[in-house]
Amino acid sequence: MAEQVISPDLNFVKDIIRNGGESLKKCYQCATCSVVCNVTPDSKPFPRKEMMWAQWGLKDKLLDNPDVWLCHQCSDCTAYCPRGAKPGEVLQAVRKLTISHYSIPNFLGRAVGDQRFLIILFLVPVVILLTILGSLGHLNISEIPRGEDGGIVYSKFMPVPYIDTLFGLAAAFAVFSFIMGVYRYWKAISRNEGIKGGDISKSLISTISEILLHKRFKKCDVTKARAKSHLYVFYGFVGLAITTTWAIAYLYGYEFFGITASSLFHFGESPYPLYDPLKILGNLSALALIVGITLVVLNRLANKDKAGIGSYFDWLFITVVFVIAATGILTELTRLANIAVLAYPIYFIHLTFVFFLFAYAPFSKMAHMVYRTTAMVFARQTGREV
Amino acid sequence: MAEKKTVLVIGGGFSGLTAAVEAAEAGFDAVIVEKNPYLGGRVAQHNKYFWKLCPPTCGLEMNFKRIKNNGNVRFYTLAEVEDIKGEEGNFDVAVKVNPRYVNDKCVGCDACAQACPSYRDNEFNFGMDKTKAAYLPFEQAFPFQYVIDEKSCAPDCKKPCLDACKYNAIDFNMKTETISIKAGAIVMATGWNLYDVSKADNLGFGVVKNVITNMMMERLSAPNGPTKGKIVRPSDGKEVKNIAFVQCAGSRDENHLPYCSYICCLASLKQTTYVREQYPDSKAQIFYIDLRTPGLYEHRFLWKVKDDTNVTLTKGKVAKITEDPETKDVIVEVEDIHAGGKIKATFDMVVLAAGMVPSTRDSRIAADIPLTEEGFVNAPTLKKGIYAVGTLKSPVDVARSAQDATGVVMKSIQSLKSQSLKRR
Repeated sequence: MAEQVISPDLNFVKDIIRNGGESLKKCYQCATCSVVCNVTPDSKPFPRKEMMWAQWGLKDKLLDNPDVWLCHQCSDCTAYCPRGAKPGEVLQAVRKLTISHYSIPNFLGRAVGDQRFLIILFLVPVVILLTILGSLGHLNISEIPRGEDGGIVYSKFMPVPYIDTLFGLAAAFAVFSFIMGVYRYWKAISRNEGIKGGDISKSLISTISEILLHKRFKKCDVTKARAKSHLYVFYGFVGLAITTTWAIAYLYGYEFFGITASSLFHFGESPYPLYDPLKILGNLSALALIVGITLVVLNRLANKDKAGIGSYFDWLFITVVFVIAATGILTELTRLANIAVLAYPIYFIHLTFVFFLFAYAPFSKMAHMVYRTTAMVFARQTGREV
Repeated sequence: MAEKKTVLVIGGGFSGLTAAVEAAEAGFDAVIVEKNPYLGGRVAQHNKYFWKLCPPTCGLEMNFKRIKNNGNVRFYTLAEVEDIKGEEGNFDVAVKVNPRYVNDKCVGCDACAQACPSYRDNEFNFGMDKTKAAYLPFEQAFPFQYVIDEKSCAPDCKKPCLDACKYNAIDFNMKTETISIKAGAIVMATGWNLYDVSKADNLGFGVVKNVITNMMMERLSAPNGPTKGKIVRPSDGKEVKNIAFVQCAGSRDENHLPYCSYICCLASLKQTTYVREQYPDSKAQIFYIDLRTPGLYEHRFLWKVKDDTNVTLTKGKVAKITEDPETKDVIVEVEDIHAGGKIKATFDMVVLAAGMVPSTRDSRIAADIPLTEEGFVNAPTLKKGIYAVGTLKSPVDVARSAQDATGVVMKSIQSLKSQSLKRR
């Protein structure tokens, strides 16, 4: 065997332990985990080797390792681990550290993963939104203009140009950061592993079809129910993304394309009637999201003994998604019920959390969709997965 | 005041026997209370045992002879301690003695068993075969006396037994009795049970037919076992020429037994030699986390087995065992840690190296016995005058159990002496 020089990074070990991998040192390398794992490849399987690297503090090996993303945290390994070393939780911590390592700017990565910065992170949207509302004089509820029928119209509370500018910028920032992160990550993982080549679009299509069908998730044993809850959340988000695009088309489409409204499709500014297909899709997606994220919470609580309860990083994301779904639905309901004193504050909270989700996506657990997809494509390109 | 001179030994396995004969040979009275209908405990169930790798009789017979030659040992079989009252030097122990339905007139002629129409599962062979309801536990059983398992004896079963016995040795009027034994000191030697490895649902025991435990392997290899020592697999009686041993089947696992059971590595190494000697063209593979062979002799044994090129030692814990539905072969899944890949290997039969559970974990003897978290006797906090030996304190082998028993007898003798000095 060729001689290898290893350089342990003890601070990285501490980082893993701080981020939910506190059981890491209990591992005694028996390899039960690699065997009970239904999603690991047969050659160089995870998570035993990752557990060893993590114990030794082999930071580079772990951060340049696409395998941690092939793991879907089924927690079969954690349930069967004879030592309570919770490999599922350790790999989750490594994934968290991967996200904050590759996403730029770096300081945001550290901040999103650290409880101490939570208030500051929330203060950003709160201050921006309050400034806008203050400048419009909308902090006093009675000053807020109403619709023609006297009903609540959110676009009169927070006019569209402000929304579009603020969230457009947040989204653009996220996209930029994601692109940079993925670029850096791809470079790092392909340094060690030779790309076999082949058509990358093929790998991409097969990865996406796997994601759309949640094929991997369904291989989990201990946390089988997660496939369903994640599917709801996933399609909730997909639905809402389509809704948002659709709304943009409604808003600008009629000018841009020169089309006019019909009795079914309502161009122009919201609110749209409940029978509008956009509204139906939006409401269904919101329901899927709230049902899904509630199931996520229930599953986590039900499996906490076998799978572990999860880290701050996980729960921050779960909370954000839950609040977005809940306040989104309540925003609509309080508007329909015309209860201004509830409607505006709830909408305010909704906007705050949506900003949080958008702007910090490359640093929060949301980033898993990008890094995991990248790793899955990479695994196909290198022949690790078919 | 006989109790001042009496040591009560609970359990008649190797530790208990040793304690009793050592005390008796030092001039004290010893009483053994044994749950089984025979003495010898777990050692009696082995094919060969360490260190000499001789059959169990070679150690047990010596102890039985010492009992016979020394009048100071009394023993009760089919007996269980119900309650311990009193203090050091003056214990009053209630013992429930279950009926054997066969008295001392039995000569072991086998006529009752031949006449008996009913069968029972043979727990001595871990249920791998059956005996008649009237049976001798095993050929060299001591006391050499038949037993009748009344629960397995159908209504029409008693008469043929009675009629067959020419010696008036069968007595169905025997009843369960509770007797009182007075003793100055008590030695607990109730030993261990095998871990119920079916609780490890990924290892297939009880589901995959050709997965057996290490103790079953001892019986399967023993000349007085269910197959007369021929190592064949349970499903179809095929000769076992390709065998795997799965170490730490439940041991060193916080979901099962958190501790190392000490002896299973050596036991599996030993059992590879059973197969290798019986079938020269056979192959054996041991899957382990760490091979633990504490002691110089033990380590040399490992080297000896390693020298056999047909024995493969593979680092990696087996975590999935399934059955090939066609051939009934056993499929073992493991990560070969040194090679760095998952393997699926097929074997004729798989032996799970199951661990030791102290008998106190499941059944506490009536007295307040302080236990450790793992169910072992917490010896330092035992009541004065009560001692525990061998596998009740930690997993150990036969030799160490015997050494411990001898040491503990010294303690109990000191206890008896100190009490009689006080009273004088």
